[in-house]
Amino acid sequence: MTQIQNDQELLELFKDPSTKEQAFTAIIKKYQEKLYWHIRRMVINHEDADDVLQNMFIKVWKGLENFREDSQLYTWLYRIATNESLTFLAQQKKRSSVSLSDDENGLTNKLKSDTNFDANKLEWKLQMGIQSLPEKQRIVFNLRYYDEMPYEEMSKVLDTSEGALKASYHHAAKKIENFILNN
Amino acid sequence: MENNTSDIINELKTVSPFLGGIEKVNVFKVPDDYFIDLDKKILTSVFLREVEKNERQEVPKGYFDSLSDRILSKIKNETPLTAIEEIKQISPALHYLKEEPVFTVPENYFDNLSDRILDKIHLKKAKVISLNPLKKLWKYAAAAVIAGIVTISSLQIFNQKTGKEKIAASYIQVAQQYRTPQKLDEGIASLSADEIAKYLEKTGTVLDEDALVKDTDTTNLPSTSDYLTDENALDNFLNSINSKSTNTQ
Repeated sequence: MTQIQNDQELLELFKDPSTKEQAFTAIIKKYQEKLYWHIRRMVINHEDADDVLQNMFIKVWKGLENFREDSQLYTWLYRIATNESLTFLAQQKKRSSVSLSDDENGLTNKLKSDTNFDANKLEWKLQMGIQSLPEKQRIVFNLRYYDEMPYEEMSKVLDTSEGALKASYHHAAKKIENFILNN
Repeated sequence: MENNTSDIINELKTVSPFLGGIEKVNVFKVPDDYFIDLDKKILTSVFLREVEKNERQEVPKGYFDSLSDRILSKIKNETPLTAIEEIKQISPALHYLKEEPVFTVPENYFDNLSDRILDKIHLKKAKVISLNPLKKLWKYAAAAVIAGIVTISSLQIFNQKTGKEKIAASYIQVAQQYRTPQKLDEGIASLSADEIAKYLEKTGTVLDEDALVKDTDTTNLPSTSDYLTDENALDNFLNSINSKSTNTQ
């Protein structure tokens, strides 16, 4: 398995016990960076992103045999990554004894604790602006802005209509722009 | 040329003694902290406008000539915007900022990620495998107890010489009650301790503790402190027994 195969081929190889692990390794290698960054932008720090990514792939291993091939592997993986990240954030929120009205998961604080954080740099202001968004809007913004995901696929990942996603993205971008101008 | 305040007031008094006599008060209010970081806000604002301006300056020649045609054909084809085209439209500044890296990843993090994940999967599998045989053994043991009790009951019926047909019918009747794991569990739960004990007395192969103690030479056994100070104490003892038994054969 020297070159990256298409998802259909990988799924076929996964069904065969003799090539199951090889196929799974190829799936990880093919999607690991995209999924890592999707998770990292949601949970912010590397250690948390690593945990969530590994756990999601363990779930993929268990669920891939029952994967319905009428949907795309790519959107299915994003769906699991999104759900795992949201579950992780919800667990953190539960554990946290501090209640923060604007940033319930303490994500802004995590950003500020990054060794490279610089409040005066525009790229960090952009990140702060993204964290100021409501959770769902933040996911929509990240998927479109960074992953450049078509609305049709995003609709499958998030179970939301394309129209609602477009409106959500537009509002999110404008909110972030205003945040940068006012901070 | 600079004028001081009194010169200016005197000048005003010569022009309009009334206005010159009114105390100067600033009636306008400014939001608190307005001037703090105002320079940064202005710079950011200027920067964002510059970005927008630059984006606008990059209009290809003849862009506007064919714009209406292109819009109409786009509407007809309903070609969706790419993510880049879209963010350029909504906020050119955000499009510009996208390329700035923020987060870092440890070096070579992705190199062996798949191996680490597979290791975890194998570890989980191994744990599951170690539990399954116990569960199965318990099921087999439970099934054996019930089957044994059923058999003993049948034999008792047989000993009473009430007829083979009756025996077979009662055996099948009892056995049919335990065809599913759930029924089996219910069957186990319904057994009394006496019934299980009676069955084990008749068929059990458990080691006789008295016989075991009687046949073991405890004089050479390592003491408790030996186990604590030397982890090989038990192994050495067992090896010595083995060598003794080999020599005697």
